[in-house]
Amino acid sequence: MAFNILIVDDSPAMRRVVKRVVDLSGLDVGNYLEAGDGLQALTVLRAEWVDLVLTDINMPEMDGEELLLEVRKDENLKSIPVLVVSTDQTEARIAQMLALGADGYISKPFAPAALSEELHRLLGGVPDESF
Amino acid sequence: MKASEFAKLVPGCCGGVLDSMYFTTIMETSHPKELAEAAEGKETAIGAEEYAFSLSFKGDICGRFGLHMGAAAGRGLAANFLGEDEADLSVSDIGEVAGELANMLCGAVVSKVEGKSKFVLSHPEAMQALPVLSGADALVSRFETDGGTVTTWVVVEGDA
Repeated sequence: MAFNILIVDDSPAMRRVVKRVVDLSGLDVGNYLEAGDGLQALTVLRAEWVDLVLTDINMPEMDGEELLLEVRKDENLKSIPVLVVSTDQTEARIAQMLALGADGYISKPFAPAALSEELHRLLGGVPDESF
Repeated sequence: MKASEFAKLVPGCCGGVLDSMYFTTIMETSHPKELAEAAEGKETAIGAEEYAFSLSFKGDICGRFGLHMGAAAGRGLAANFLGEDEADLSVSDIGEVAGELANMLCGAVVSKVEGKSKFVLSHPEAMQALPVLSGADALVSRFETDGGTVTTWVVVEGDA
């Protein structure tokens, strides 16, 4: 089964890096979808089938926290796994996002293997050992 | 909190970010008193192939974080980060990576300061000139890496 993955980050460079790590993780990816903030992400989520959302927190227009809240209260979206990928490494932020319904939290900078493991935990399968 | 207190945190945080996602090693760290050799307190214009970004942080501590690097360092770090050949990178690509580097370095440093408190970072903005920094509220750090010189600065604007 090929997964559709939505990468939400206001940094085009970070979206490229995340996409590259996912490519190398061994997951069977159907489509990569991208959004530069939470509002754009909601538009994509309401138009496309998405199996996993990877989202930053600090973004313009709508941040990752609000995006997570919107996803979790939407009957059609609430079952989609959301993995937060953020520069905020504080215990308070990690606990808050998990309490709001995030399925995982990766702090930037991250080791590619750590992100790969989280992807496989959420979508199934065995991580590529080349990491 | 004074900017000078960041001196204990910045090298380790920056070293961790550069090592883990930019595959670059810091060989030497210094803390010059001035950000640039500013002439009579005037701002220093950013050169054609230099990259400078700054962003604000707001939490228990508020302030600004900045990053500056030259063409060689920018191109090398961008290539390492994106996993692409230097020759294939545009100035825009390198600028995007420099902005994300500023974001990650700031996040790593502020996370250490805030500890158990949340904070908010602004979007990194490209700068046209390096500001004049001095006094106890600014800390300048210069890192000599295997890819070139990377300079950061922290300005504390107050506690929330």
